[in-house]
This record gives sequence, structure tokens and C-alpha cells, in this order.
Amino acid sequence: MRDKAITLWNKEGTRSVVASLISILIGLLVGSILVLVMGLFTPSLGMRGAWDGIRLVFFGILSTGRDAAGELTFGFNGVNIGNMLFRAMPLILTGLSVAVAYQTGLFNIGAPGQYLMGTMATLVIALSIPAGSMPKLVIWLLAFFGGMLAGALWGCIPGLVKAFLNINEVLACIMTNWIAGNLVAAVFDGSRFRNMVETTKTGYIYKTTFGLTRVAAGTGLGGGDYTYVDGAGVATAKMGLDKLFPGSQINGGILIAILIAVLVYILMSKTTLGYQLKACGANRHAARYAGINDKRNIVLSMAIAGALAGTAAALYCLSGNTEYYWTSAYQTLPAVGFNGIPVALLAVCNPIAVIFTGCFMSMLNVVGLQMRNLTAYNEYIADVIIAVIVYFSAFSLVIKNILSGRKKRRSQASAPAAPPDPGPATAEKGGEGK
Amino acid sequence: MAQVENIIEMLHITKEFPGIIANDDVTLQLRRGEIHALLGENGAGKSTLMSVLFGLYQPEKGIIKKNGAEVKIHDPNDATALGIGMVHQHFKLIEVFTVLDNIILGAETTKLGFLSKKEARKKVEALSERYGLKVDLDARVEDITVGMQQRVEILKMLYRDNEILIFDEPTAVLTPQEIDELMATMKEFAKEGKSILFISHKLNEIMAVADRVTVLRKGRCVGTVDTKDTDKQALSNMMVGRPVQLEVDKTPAKPGEVVLEVEHFTVPARGSHKRDAVHDVSFQVRAGEIVCIAGIDGNGQTEFIHGLTGLDRASGSIRLLGEDVSHASIRGRGKHMSHIPEDRHKHGLVLDFTLERNLVLQRFREPRFQKAGFIDQKAVRAYAEKLIEQFDVRSGQGPVTIARSMSGGNQQKAIIARELDRDKPLVVAVQPTRGLDVGAIEYIHSQLVRQRDQGKAILLVSLELDEVMSLSDRILVMYEGEIVGELDPKATTVQELGLYMAGAKRADGRKEVEGA
Repeated sequence: MRDKAITLWNKEGTRSVVASLISILIGLLVGSILVLVMGLFTPSLGMRGAWDGIRLVFFGILSTGRDAAGELTFGFNGVNIGNMLFRAMPLILTGLSVAVAYQTGLFNIGAPGQYLMGTMATLVIALSIPAGSMPKLVIWLLAFFGGMLAGALWGCIPGLVKAFLNINEVLACIMTNWIAGNLVAAVFDGSRFRNMVETTKTGYIYKTTFGLTRVAAGTGLGGGDYTYVDGAGVATAKMGLDKLFPGSQINGGILIAILIAVLVYILMSKTTLGYQLKACGANRHAARYAGINDKRNIVLSMAIAGALAGTAAALYCLSGNTEYYWTSAYQTLPAVGFNGIPVALLAVCNPIAVIFTGCFMSMLNVVGLQMRNLTAYNEYIADVIIAVIVYFSAFSLVIKNILSGRKKRRSQASAPAAPPDPGPATAEKGGEGK
Repeated sequence: MAQVENIIEMLHITKEFPGIIANDDVTLQLRRGEIHALLGENGAGKSTLMSVLFGLYQPEKGIIKKNGAEVKIHDPNDATALGIGMVHQHFKLIEVFTVLDNIILGAETTKLGFLSKKEARKKVEALSERYGLKVDLDARVEDITVGMQQRVEILKMLYRDNEILIFDEPTAVLTPQEIDELMATMKEFAKEGKSILFISHKLNEIMAVADRVTVLRKGRCVGTVDTKDTDKQALSNMMVGRPVQLEVDKTPAKPGEVVLEVEHFTVPARGSHKRDAVHDVSFQVRAGEIVCIAGIDGNGQTEFIHGLTGLDRASGSIRLLGEDVSHASIRGRGKHMSHIPEDRHKHGLVLDFTLERNLVLQRFREPRFQKAGFIDQKAVRAYAEKLIEQFDVRSGQGPVTIARSMSGGNQQKAIIARELDRDKPLVVAVQPTRGLDVGAIEYIHSQLVRQRDQGKAILLVSLELDEVMSLSDRILVMYEGEIVGELDPKATTVQELGLYMAGAKRADGRKEVEGA
């Protein structure tokens, strides 16, 4: 009985995965049709260009450029894969942010705002501590946890408003997003964190690799005693990944993201806290009835979600090769925050699956770049394909139901219990009657 | 009776769900103008069979005939076209629509594509007049009583000129008076030649109103009998498959120390109501007795229990085992109190959780089920298996069954298993047998009596007069939020109880009786 139950349970999981894969495949196919149509209507592309485009949609991650004859070549491409993993790092975390909230019955559309607050805290901490005043690792840790904490606090706000005033979290999240955008712009505007050393750049904040360094009195920035020196600051360790994927942007942050995904999985499915959070999400009344503090759990869930989005920002900022463009903060919310939603939904909010869907989404991103570089398509086509796939991922549940329907019908047909009389014929008719 | 006209014949119907055969070669023949009851325990397959007839499910095997000709019913539209109407156990009404809008929904009268409600209104008014089905056509469904909602459902069927009417457990939600009215209406329909399928497990009602009964047990048809050739005991034995005890078997109570003491307990009004939902209620429950709060639905019982268990705010004092818990949290009160809630879907279960996770809803924090914040899955599984076995909770996949997929009776059994096994000195049981069949009721009653005999204090809230009279040791009657009388079930009659419940009679000097 127990073994049987476990097998059934496994089947359920398998079905989810298969359904997600099918919806991804349908998305890719529909994307290919778009590529084809666009190719046929663009003189510079034609059938040949379209065929290249379609191959890139499916295998772009493995493309290695063009050979002497101008044909696309495929193989292991460390740069592509490394960049995919690098871009997946924040996506996995914002995806987890949305997934955790969703399992608790909350829709965290506030990840962009939490991400922004995480960005701000991480950068301010990393760029405010004078280099050499403490070990680099300590500065890194302070900046990392500062970003996480800022995200958590920002996530708390919609949580508190929902728990105590019963105001829809979606509303509060959208508002806190824009508050964060303007707040971040206000903090950086006129601050000393703006990159003044590399004069070719305007509107950027220093990379965290810049360290606040003491110079002779009155010769530093703005006539102060300090200036920023590249290389004196902090960055996430590569942990050998740069050897594995040479030439890419990758660093150890992806390992931290994966570790966090595993921790979130353990939290949600193995601990009493996860049990409480999910109980509140699935039925707030029953949770209350059972003596679970529903208000506390709503706030906690949003805080965890915010912390994850803040961590995404912290890891991204601390990469050392990323720069924050603060001038548009109040106009555009970071897409990586919103992209957490499809990452989570495609993963059916399973934290482990989020690792893969996050990688998948960033892969499409890399594919977009490949298309731009190797064909006459622009990278926006990749965004269209992402949109199509996200759209079809919403059908993964439908596909799952179709799959289970098939399975059921088949098992009935082979069921030995079926009496021989007019059985099979009518059964089949009944099945088709839908 | 050779030439009897069967209006509907369901022949050899088989319907399977994963892990369970809901209907196994069931045959049902409905004659024109008869009231045909479908009797069976929870999960016996009554609702499934009716859903097949109404087109909600497709059977794997078997055929349906109307007037002797085979028909295919793919969806409820086909059923409606064949004149089949159904009043579901859980009403299918749109809460924010008016009564009239709900009745005409899907069968609207239109002129040039615009709604013309005037004719519809006339027709509905005529029907409502003719059958004495009083409804307020312009009220919103969310504002009307459950009884009136049911009349709306009946009018929906009549409006569509249905001649075959299916009633799925129609009396489960009604007051005794409303039940009488419904019975009369059903007889009226039958007299006019409409045919009625009446799903129930209440033997009294079936004996009173039905011409014939088909009994289902575990998905199989046990037989069809004329009600005039049978009696309640025979029917219940057929249904359960063994002799059933219809009366509660219990010895006189031996009340011990006071477990629960409620004083000047008031729950303030909700929404637009001026009157307190519960007003200045005081009483005691002692160890080893079953005290029942009786009353017609909506007289403050729900609010009282919510206040008592901490789900809602209330004023006044509550003492549990001498300890003041008036301001304690729900969890704090739960230390000495288990609670079988009135609404098993809203409060009792997390429907999307597995059965085993539901069975530890309060207890997951206990060291036995967790280690350093990690749930001990093995211990939870073992505990769930123990409870499932002990309380005979039936489900498709055992501990990992999703609660939503279980039948109502088994959901209730799971809640009762959980609450009684928590082993608290006070058991608050609110309508613990609502919607359950004889077998399950017998079981739950015997469990409650056993708990009492073990020295637990039981506070029961019930709307069923039979249950109140047979199970309780003392009866407190609640009327409009106040306790208007305390009665001894052995020294009173159903009639007298009814007078108190209707507010026609009030006890004087109640305080003298109390605690005696």
C-alpha cells in the first residue's frame, strides 16, 4: 500500500515535469513559426536566414559561430553556458521569491522593488566601508546580508498591510515597487557613489570592485580625503567556475543561488515553518482554527520572499562585472524582478524546478544575443519567444490534465476487472463522448 | 404491476474514479409520477449516480433510457433538454445576482438580443404562487436564507419545465419546518405527474415521502423496495449491511468537576445587525456529561462557538479547568479544548493538503512529530495510518490522499479522528453528524459517548432534534443569542423543546437550575 502510494506520488511529479517540457516545446515551436514568418518577409533573411534562426532558437546555447563557408557551427560553448548561468543567478532567486509567496497564497509582484532595495543596500554598504578597514570577505558578507535584509524589510510592508489591514498584497506590492524606484534614485542622486573615475560613463554607480581608498588630504573625490580605486573593492569569488567556462561572466554566485534554492525547498517541504506557511496559504481559516498565527505567517512569507529578491540583487551587484545604471531607476523597474513570475510559474512553484526554469529563461536570453550576433534578427525576437513560452507555460496544467486523462483511460482499457459483456465498446464510446 | 411506465431507466451504470469504483453495475428505474428515494451511506455512490444522470460525469459502462429510448447525456445542457433538473447538495447559485437573475440564468427570455425580464418575472411569480414557493425575486442570493436559496433552486427547475427532478440531500441544510414544507411540495409535484429522485440518508424523510427506495452500498445496488413494504430498521440494515443501532446506547451521566465555565459571555453584533450575536450567556459543562446547545440555525450558536474557541472576539469570562482563558489565543485555548468545527471545508481541513498533513494540523509542533523544526515524516505517516485504521477513514490513497478528493463523510471522520485523539478535557462538537449517514452517525455518537464516559466534558451544538434528544445529558436552548431554557432530555418532549427553540417559551429562574 505504501509503495503504491509513493509510486503514485512520483507519477504526479513526473507528469508535472513532462507537462512543463511539453509546454516549453510548444512555445519553442510557435516561436520558430514566428522566426520563419519574419524571415520569409525580411529580404535580408529569406528561407536560409529563417532556417538559421530556427536552429538558433532550439540550439543557440550550443552555437559556436560560423565556419569559413558561412555555415552555423555547433558545439560546446563555454562563454554561452557561463553567461547563461550568470544570468540565471538573479532569475533563480527572484523566481524563488515569487514561488515562496505563491505557496503561501500570496502573489509577490513586488520582487522588482525588493530587488531595487537590495541593490541599494548592497552598493551603499560595499562602497561606504573604506577598503582595508576590514577583511574583504567581511565587507562582502556585510553587503550580501545587507541586500538580503533590505529586500526582506521591503517585502514586509505589503505583508503587514495584508495581514493587519487586509489590503490586497498585489496593490501594495505595485506601490512599493515605485516607491523603491524613486527612493533608490533619490539616494544615489548627488551621492558619492556615482562613478566619477571612469569619465566615459554617466549615470552609473561604481562597481563593487572599486574600493574607498584614503589618499593625501584634500586630493580625493570632491576635495575629500578618499577616492575610489578599481580593484580595491570586493567581488564574489569565481570558485573555479571561470576555468570551466572561460571568457564568460560567471562567478560563484550561481552556486550560492542553487544552494539557496535547495534550502528553500527544505524549508518549504520539510520544516514545521514551511508547513505553517503553506497551511496559511492553502486555507487561512483552517490555519487559524488550528492555532497557527496567520498574520505572523503572512508577514513572514513576504519577508522571506523579499529577502530572496534582495539576495538576487546582492549577488548581481557583487559580481564585480556589473554596473548599476541608477538614472532610470525611477522610470523602469528591473525586469529581473518581474521575470521571477514566469520562472516560478513554469516551475509550478517547486524550488528545485526553479533552478532549471531560471536557467531556461536565461538561456533564451543568450539565444537572443546569438541571433543578433549571427543573423539579421534582432534580440527582441527572443523576447517574443520568451513571451510565447510564458504564455504556453500557463497551459502546462491543461497539458498535465490531458496526460493524466490518457493514463487513466489506458489503465481502464487494460484493467482485468472489466467484465467481458458489452463492456469495451461502450466504454470507449463513453470515453470519446467528451 | 406489469404495465408500469418507466420515465427514466439507468441500466448497468459503472463509473470509476482513480482508486475507487463509485458505481458498479447500478440499475435504477424511475416511474412517472413517483417519488423515488436513493438511499446509501456516504461514498455509496448516490451523488455520482445522479451526476451521471445529470451529465456531469460520463459512465464507463451502462446506458440511460428515457421513455424506453436510449439517450446520451454528455453535459447538463443535454439533461435540461431531456427535462431533467437537479438541486445540488451545495447550491449552484451566483451569490451577487438577484433571485430572478439566478432563476433565468442560462434560459433567459430575450427580445432582439436584449433581456426581457418582464415575462420571465411573470412566469416565475406564477410558479412561485402555484407551489407556494415563497421567494423574494429582487433580493440578492447572498442575503437570503439557505431555505429560500433552495426554493430558488427548485424554481430554477420548474422554470425550465423539467419533469424529472433530482434532489441531492435537500434537507441537510433546512430547519424542521422547512423540511415539512419541502416534503409537501415534493408530494405536490408527484401528484402532477412529475417524477422525483430524492437522495437522502434520513430514514424518517424517506419513509414519509417516498414511494419506492433504491439502496446503494459501496457503489453497488442492494435492491429496490416499496416503502410500504419496509421499515426504518430494515432499510438501515440494507444500507449499512449489518444491523444498526438507531438509538444511542448510553448510561446515565456521572457529572464530575466543572471543566468549562462561561460567564456573561457576549459576542458583539456583526455588520448591520443591532442586536448582539450572543448576549450575556452563562453556563457550565462538567466532566462526564454531554451538554447540548439546541436551537434553530442562526440563533447565535456559530458566533458563540467562534467566540469560545477564539476565532472571533467576545467579552465575558471563560474558565477552562479553573484557568481564565478569556484572553488566550486560539492555540492557548486549544491546550485543553478540541473543536470539531461546524464548517469542515472552511475551518476543519486544508483541502489541498494530504490527509496525513491534515491529521497533524494542530499537533505538528509536538516533539513527537518534529525534530528541531523539521517535520518527522515517518512519525506523521505512522500516526496517520493509526488514525485511519482506528477511525475507519476511507480514501483512495490512504495517508497521501488529497483531502479535497475524499467524500464528505470521510472528511468528517478524519476531523473527528484528529480532534478526539488529541485527548483534551473539553470536546466542542458543532453539528458533528451533519450530512452523514446512519452508519457514520451511529459511530460518531458512540465515540462521543465513549469520550464522555472517559470523563471528558462534551459541548455539543446540534440542529437535529433527534440528536439533541438522544445524545445529550442536558439541553441548553439558544434563541436570538440568549439561552432561554435548560431542559432535561429525559423529562421533556420534542414539542416543548420546539417551543423553546421557536422563542415561544422562556424559562424563568434559569440560574437556579444551572449547575444543579
